Amino acid sequence: MTDLTNAPTGAAPRRFGSLLEESPRTKRRNAAEKRFRIYGMCAVGVGLIFLAALLFAIVRNGIPAFTQTYMTVQVELLAEKLDKNGNRDIDDIKKVSTFGYNPLIDTALEKAVAQAGIETEITRGKDLRDMLSSGAAAQIRDVVIANPELIGSVQDFTVLTSSRVDGYMKGRVDRESLARDPNLSPAHLDIVDGLVANGAIDRVFNLAFITGADASESRPEQAGMGVAILGSFFMMLVVLVLSLPIGVAASIYLEEFAPQNAFTDFIEVNISNLAAVPSIVFGILGLAVFIQFAHLPQSAPIVGGLTLTLMTLPTIVISTRASLKSVPPSIRDAALGVGASKMQSVFHHVLPLAMPGILTGTIIGLAQALGETAPLLLIGMVGYIATNYPEGVASGFLDPNSAMPAQIFEWAKRADPAYYERAWGGIIILLVFLLTMNLIAILLRRRFERRW
Amino acid sequence: MKDNFSSAKDGAVTDAKISARNVQVFYGDNHAIKDVDVDIEDKTVTAFIGPSGCGKSTFLRCINRMNDTIDVCRVQGDIRIDGEDIYDRKVDPVQLRAKVGMVFQKPNPFPKSIYDNVAYGPRIHGLASTKAELDDIVEQALRRGAIWDEVKDRLAAPGTGLSGGQQQRLCIARAIATEPEVLLMDEPCSALDPIATAQVEELIDELRRNYSVVIVTHSMQQAARVSQKTAFFHLGNLVEFGDTDKIFTSPEDPRTESYITGRIG
Repeated sequence: MTDLTNAPTGAAPRRFGSLLEESPRTKRRNAAEKRFRIYGMCAVGVGLIFLAALLFAIVRNGIPAFTQTYMTVQVELLAEKLDKNGNRDIDDIKKVSTFGYNPLIDTALEKAVAQAGIETEITRGKDLRDMLSSGAAAQIRDVVIANPELIGSVQDFTVLTSSRVDGYMKGRVDRESLARDPNLSPAHLDIVDGLVANGAIDRVFNLAFITGADASESRPEQAGMGVAILGSFFMMLVVLVLSLPIGVAASIYLEEFAPQNAFTDFIEVNISNLAAVPSIVFGILGLAVFIQFAHLPQSAPIVGGLTLTLMTLPTIVISTRASLKSVPPSIRDAALGVGASKMQSVFHHVLPLAMPGILTGTIIGLAQALGETAPLLLIGMVGYIATNYPEGVASGFLDPNSAMPAQIFEWAKRADPAYYERAWGGIIILLVFLLTMNLIAILLRRRFERRW
Repeated sequence: MKDNFSSAKDGAVTDAKISARNVQVFYGDNHAIKDVDVDIEDKTVTAFIGPSGCGKSTFLRCINRMNDTIDVCRVQGDIRIDGEDIYDRKVDPVQLRAKVGMVFQKPNPFPKSIYDNVAYGPRIHGLASTKAELDDIVEQALRRGAIWDEVKDRLAAPGTGLSGGQQQRLCIARAIATEPEVLLMDEPCSALDPIATAQVEELIDELRRNYSVVIVTHSMQQAARVSQKTAFFHLGNLVEFGDTDKIFTSPEDPRTESYITGRIG
């Protein structure tokens, strides 16, 4: 009351000063806001710096894996060595093992060095062969068995060089490091230099890294991701086929039909908790249930897929329920109001509107599963050398295989620095897959949302 | 004529479309509707008025069992439509809602085309066997919804792209496309501007010829304009029910009088 009576007399202090100058309170508020903005920008900046560092490291370390050094050699396929009986019987030809081919390669290398006019203390072809991959003989043998008529002729073969030569071409190996290396001597590098000048040795795009199979520890130059990619593919197929229908059905039931009681509350809490359970726990669950109890084959993509399904389900259920929740209740009312049943209202109206969210959630869940390594450790998909392509679909699900992240982990464990490079390269392939999946999620989302 | 006849008998109607006896509604422990008895006639507009939270919308939603979708809601008592107890165990609420259409407070067209909005009800109830029949039903419904002329050239356009008033008339067309016998309207004009409101009110007057219309409204002017019967709800009780003219000129209950003169509410 006093305010009211005093106001007209003008005795009370004016609450507002000039609007042209900031009051101390406003100054403090504005300063706080400015500080907060700076903190925010710093946080974003730090994130961006780390992202840039990550991308730089991956690209720098991984890109060399996508090229590989090959040598072209002219090999004379001597008939007396490869087909002693001279009757071109394929069974006899198959009896000649890769050891039978080595002398031919040795001779070819001696010739190549002589032809290039390289002076070297290494004269024995056997020693020269250290420059080539130990898989070279097998490669030539495969060609001969496929085309027995080549026996007796001189053929050009482009064979893998050893990982040391490849490393020298990529700058990973130098003469100094070779001084302590039993696999190759610095003198070999002089020959390599000569052959590079000659055009016999060249570094080209390495398709085999993407499509090929894993190789043993001593032949990193042969190792590829292809079989592991197939393993991941079959696993993702299992995850998609199981987790999408189960997850969506469970979410629709819980969100739209289930009564609200202690039991559904309990289920809800548990689903949220499951999403936070460490993935290795799902691995040991998969081991116990699918391998020890159900006796499914070890290391098989079907077991990996089932285990990853368990891991992905909570993610899908949570995102599906969130997108069902975000559909306005007025749409449900409208459908019920014209006499649609509960199920019709859900399937005709609610689900289509929730679809973008469900798809995004599913793809993000799949992408998570694709990059998951820990559960695979426990069901034997890590450490398995994925050298064989699956022979058809059933074999793809049931035969032992690896998966992309497991393959990367496997390579990172191996001692040879050439495998270190391949692990980074594998990361690039994995990231390309993940980015593609996220891109699909974004495109699907926009496509479904654009309708109205 | 019928109006005069039934009002002459003053509430003791025998040919009531909807008759409610001793209806109680509970939201959990909250007793939202207490002892409501009301008879709603066919081919009449009945308005429910009353202050916010008095239970008029709750009671309206009992008539087509929309309250079933709320877990904590319990309904007791007897509501009969054409003499049949709609809360009978054998009654499927979905079938009931086809007979008792509803228009909501906020226009809520489906995010589909105008055509599909109206055709949805007839489709799920199997009212049309051919495309031509369905086209016909849609056109009739849109015409009766007084929106045909505005949308006939863009039936494939999304219903959500219409203006608020058009959307509400589309929702009314959608509700009458399934040929209900009763039309419930829960504050259908509260989100509309005066011009759209006038259009919808005109439409309600048209609809009276074929349907029994029950409308919940906050606007007493609207109740006076469109309805023949008015029910005044207060704190969950049905305080007074009678001819609209009488309620607004000489109410019997002092609470009704206070409300319509603006002293409570």
